[in-house]
Amino acid sequence: MAQTQSGAEGMQSLAALLDRNATQFGNAPAYREKEFGIWQCWTWAETATEVRALALGFLELGVEKGDHIAVIGRNRPAHYWSMVAAQMVGAVPVPLYQDAVAEEMAYVLEHCGAKYVVCGDQEQVDKVIEIQENLHQVKHILYTDKRGMRKYDHSQMNALDDIMAEGRAGHARFDAELNKRIAAITYDDTCVMLYTSGTTGKPKGVVLSNRNVIESAKNSAEFDHLTQSEDILSYLPMAWVGDFIFSIGQAYWCGFCVNCPESADTMMTDLREIGPTYFFAPPRVFETQLTNVMIRMEDAGKLKQRMFHHFMAHAKKVGGLLLDGKPVGFSDRVKYALGNLLVYGPLKDTLGYGRFRVGYTAGEAIGPEIFDFYRSLGINLKQLYGQTEATVFITVQPDGEVRADTVGVPAPDVELKIDDKGEIHYRSPGVFVEYFKNPDSTASTKDAEGWVATGDAGFIEENSGHLRIIDRAKDVGKMADGSMFAPKYVENKLKFYPDILEVVLFGNGRDHCVAFINIDLTAVGNWAERNNVAYGSYQELTANPQVLETIKAHVEEVNKSVAADEMLSGCQVHRFVVLHKELDADDGEMTRTRKVRRGFVEEKFSDIIAALYDGSETISTTTEVTYEDGRKGSISATLEIVDAPVVPVAQHKVAAE
Amino acid sequence: MPEQFVFAMEVILNGLMAGVLYALVALGFVLIYKASGIFNYAQGVMALFAAMTLVGIMNGQVPFAHLINATFGTHVHSFGWNVPAFVAILLTMGVMVLLAWAVQRFVMRHLVGQEPIILFMATIGLAYFLEGVADLMWGSEIKTLDVGLPQGINLWIDESTFNIFGYGFFLDNLDIVATVIAALLVAALVAFSQYTKQGRAMRAVADDHQAALSVGISLNFIWIMVWSVAGFVALVAGIMWGTKSGVQFSLSLIALKALPVLMLGGFTSIPGAIVGGLIIGVGEKLFEFAVGPLVGGATENWFAYVLALIFLVFRPQGLFGEKIIERV
Amino acid sequence: MLDSSEGYITEDGRKIGGVVMEMKNITLRFGGVVAIKDISFDIREGEIRAIIGPNGAGKSSMLNVISGFYVPQEGEVWFHGAKRPPMRPYEVARQGIARTFQNIALFEGMSVLDNVMTGRLNFMKTNILQQAWWKGKAEAEEVENREAVEKIIDFLEIQHIRKTPVSRLPYGLKKRVELARALAAEPRLLLLDEPMAGMNVEEKEDMSRFILDVNDEFGTTIALIEHDMGVVMDLSDRVVVMDYGKKIGDGTPDEVRSNQDVIDAYLGVSHD
Repeated sequence: MAQTQSGAEGMQSLAALLDRNATQFGNAPAYREKEFGIWQCWTWAETATEVRALALGFLELGVEKGDHIAVIGRNRPAHYWSMVAAQMVGAVPVPLYQDAVAEEMAYVLEHCGAKYVVCGDQEQVDKVIEIQENLHQVKHILYTDKRGMRKYDHSQMNALDDIMAEGRAGHARFDAELNKRIAAITYDDTCVMLYTSGTTGKPKGVVLSNRNVIESAKNSAEFDHLTQSEDILSYLPMAWVGDFIFSIGQAYWCGFCVNCPESADTMMTDLREIGPTYFFAPPRVFETQLTNVMIRMEDAGKLKQRMFHHFMAHAKKVGGLLLDGKPVGFSDRVKYALGNLLVYGPLKDTLGYGRFRVGYTAGEAIGPEIFDFYRSLGINLKQLYGQTEATVFITVQPDGEVRADTVGVPAPDVELKIDDKGEIHYRSPGVFVEYFKNPDSTASTKDAEGWVATGDAGFIEENSGHLRIIDRAKDVGKMADGSMFAPKYVENKLKFYPDILEVVLFGNGRDHCVAFINIDLTAVGNWAERNNVAYGSYQELTANPQVLETIKAHVEEVNKSVAADEMLSGCQVHRFVVLHKELDADDGEMTRTRKVRRGFVEEKFSDIIAALYDGSETISTTTEVTYEDGRKGSISATLEIVDAPVVPVAQHKVAAE
Repeated sequence: MPEQFVFAMEVILNGLMAGVLYALVALGFVLIYKASGIFNYAQGVMALFAAMTLVGIMNGQVPFAHLINATFGTHVHSFGWNVPAFVAILLTMGVMVLLAWAVQRFVMRHLVGQEPIILFMATIGLAYFLEGVADLMWGSEIKTLDVGLPQGINLWIDESTFNIFGYGFFLDNLDIVATVIAALLVAALVAFSQYTKQGRAMRAVADDHQAALSVGISLNFIWIMVWSVAGFVALVAGIMWGTKSGVQFSLSLIALKALPVLMLGGFTSIPGAIVGGLIIGVGEKLFEFAVGPLVGGATENWFAYVLALIFLVFRPQGLFGEKIIERV
Repeated sequence: MLDSSEGYITEDGRKIGGVVMEMKNITLRFGGVVAIKDISFDIREGEIRAIIGPNGAGKSSMLNVISGFYVPQEGEVWFHGAKRPPMRPYEVARQGIARTFQNIALFEGMSVLDNVMTGRLNFMKTNILQQAWWKGKAEAEEVENREAVEKIIDFLEIQHIRKTPVSRLPYGLKKRVELARALAAEPRLLLLDEPMAGMNVEEKEDMSRFILDVNDEFGTTIALIEHDMGVVMDLSDRVVVMDYGKKIGDGTPDEVRSNQDVIDAYLGVSHD
């Protein structure tokens, strides 16, 4: 496929791709959304009409070239259309995290200078109005869900539907202008601006051009042989680069169908009903599903349980090999086929993976057991390593070379290098244009030759050419005795236990490591119910002696496995607490993509850390919490500090680093 | 094919057909129990009453003739006409609805909110009362019932099985028809309770009286309806058993056959009643066939109960009954 | 402002219409115990009317009188301009008065969808034969009712539990399902019996929002009883305060708040 300066196959913008899709696959489904219990469907031809109506409506509102249009809401066709329509009129779409509190949203809205905001519902409108009191830049608010909106002052507000209707009615006046604007879009114009949540500091607006998006979509679609007939479920935050690439970039490039769930809570049901062929989920989703399967199996009858365990053991043995196309004996194949009939097939259908052809997990390390569980069922789950700044793709695992501990080989057209400090750098057609209004950060991240520093430490395996990630480059530290401190390595091992939701390890510059642990309410709650352990609240459950005992056992096991690694044996957990609250993005303890903000946590809970190191047996603490509506409150608790058994390590071995 | 195997097949077929009838009787119990929490001891007598009424109407008998004659010194016995079976069945159904209304109006309505055991006692009373009324109304002699259902050996099956196995199965036409009708009835009842407005209301009442009231369901209406449906089921069962072995007092004892079925299937489950009925039917016939000769026969009288007892020990809620969870 | 028979305008600009329900000199006794003593008040079209009072003040009894579960010994109940003869609860429900219960009365064995569908029973007019035939009228009716129910499911954000048996739901969601079932009846008057009882702060806020939205979106007239003063004052347009079966205050939240008898009842002499 010849790649020209003027864009892949002459397609320079989303508008051009939409036009092509409407012509070539006019009657094929482009969007589905479940509403009032029924899947509503729009074909590509219908989509083109809707998006055009919306773009005309934007013109009527007076949207200028270069204006920013923020989109805040859950995954809905109308919101995707808003982004494409924004691009058509020469504006820049800026999707925002809908669960962001007003304060965060205010910063981003002000930073991008959005004059128009598309809100999903009343809740988002309220937030924008609140922000608008100090920030008088927003000219017009549009909303998709009309509920509760009747009594608002509509002088600067409209339902998106109404704007589309106005656009349709006024098309004669604006058709020429719209066509002119569409024609003026170049390959290097901004396609979208996405704010990275960033584990430190303020969010940065990553500017991605049409070239970035379309080249990345094209390369990745070819890599996995994606076709027009794929079905995906779009449920991840629209503000996240992955969703933009999957639900817009690849969807428009390939012309496949984007399915939107009915609500965030129905995602699992909708997944089952759609049965996507191409799927993306962070490890958390797969973990939750596996936990649910295991819980359900424990409730199942004896026969069912035996059958499940028997065939799962067989799948573990040969399932992965079969998926990788490796040789497997005839009788094992037959047995696997039988298992597929009795166990794997029905299980995949319940999970919603009956039609799963290829899928990815990324963002966090996935537990090897979890990863293997899905692959052994014949689900082609792979890992990739990516960033917003790279328009997602840096490395991907090719079919047949899938392992739990690597993130794959460089994606097509991506160059990779590791600097002397172990930090990973890359260069590709997907490399972002700039950080919006932030030339300093742009310069410190992207050098003159277009190489981008990832901030992650890793190495390339010599024999396979696969990339392995160790940790965030800045998180890798040294312990007091000079041995390596790689918190994520230990945290991930602990997080692979279903009982444990989140771990934060401390020990940089200290002589031993301590940890905060969050239990998983679903798994532990279920255990409690099963064993008649009464508990009134999350907090009460975290303090249960039996729970602490179980967690202690997990820590002990992990310590044994950590001790086996020469480089990292110093990272064993000596003492830990089970935290009385879940780390939460609303409290600033995590990013919106659920990564722990280490520094913040260290500061906020400094009293607990002090107690972990000074040998106290308990610690009383009061913690500030933020409710959903932004109000603050506080909870107090006395936490028990648990000493965990560690494996003694000979001193000379530790120094070997 | 070994002979024993072919015989066993015939036995199983017969057992299945008996089972469907058991299921039918059990269904009557389940319906009332689910909707009102009453174990209706009178269900068997209702079948007897229905069958007697049907015969009476068909023969143009004057109801309470004995009583009338004794009181007024008259000698009326018959209106002197015969009513066609179809019309008679409709009329009998009308009588059963009337009975349902009367039971609700004069008995159950006054006992709302009483202990289950009280309600149970009331149905025992009802059973004996109804039996007395039936005798008084139609006379206590054994009657034959013929609504035109085919009877006798099914020659087609006999012949075709003979050609295949070299042994002709003996299946009674009546049993076959009864099976088909019972199966249809069961399907209709399930569809009724699942998909119709009245069925939905019935399930609502079975679940929570207060809530049912609050959405505008009249409990009284639902209860009359349920008793009517149970009456209808009793009528069908009465026709089947009455045709087979005559309308007589022993007909009311089929209720006792339903008891083990209920223990097996659970008192609250419609599918339970069906599966329970089939298991008992096939089980007792097979047991009689296999073990009967060794112990001198007549195992059918007690086998079902023993099976039910064993079940009670291991699964007290029955096959499909709601799980009993004891929280500590 | 309140005695105008034409209704009034609320602080947030909603139009409140004429009297929907009027209780005149209601007295209710259980044996020798007087639960409600000579109480009169009215409920107007489109308003959120609260009945509050300490535990044991007779609030629940009052709600049960309105919904027909109790029949008062004295007094008259007027609904839509007509005196209501003594009625059974199901007849009251059929008149368009839907309710929820303090300790939740749902059909535990049914799914959420089936529960909400029972709220539509009175909209189903086809007879048993039409239903047996299924095609045509009965099918159209089922579809129509299902659509109405789906709108409510969407409105109350319970799509994710549509097929879940009610018995498996947590308390807060059960309350919401019960509200959904009441709403499905498209009531002319919606009675809520302690809708926030047993909820945590967040659930209470959710429920408050739903109550306000229901009133706003469907224009439903709502009467609710609650003993949590704070929530009620934010929600309601007018409040009746009861204590020991007597009415001790009636008016806007502000008026009630400054009423000395009410302050005494809540602060001075509590009697649980």
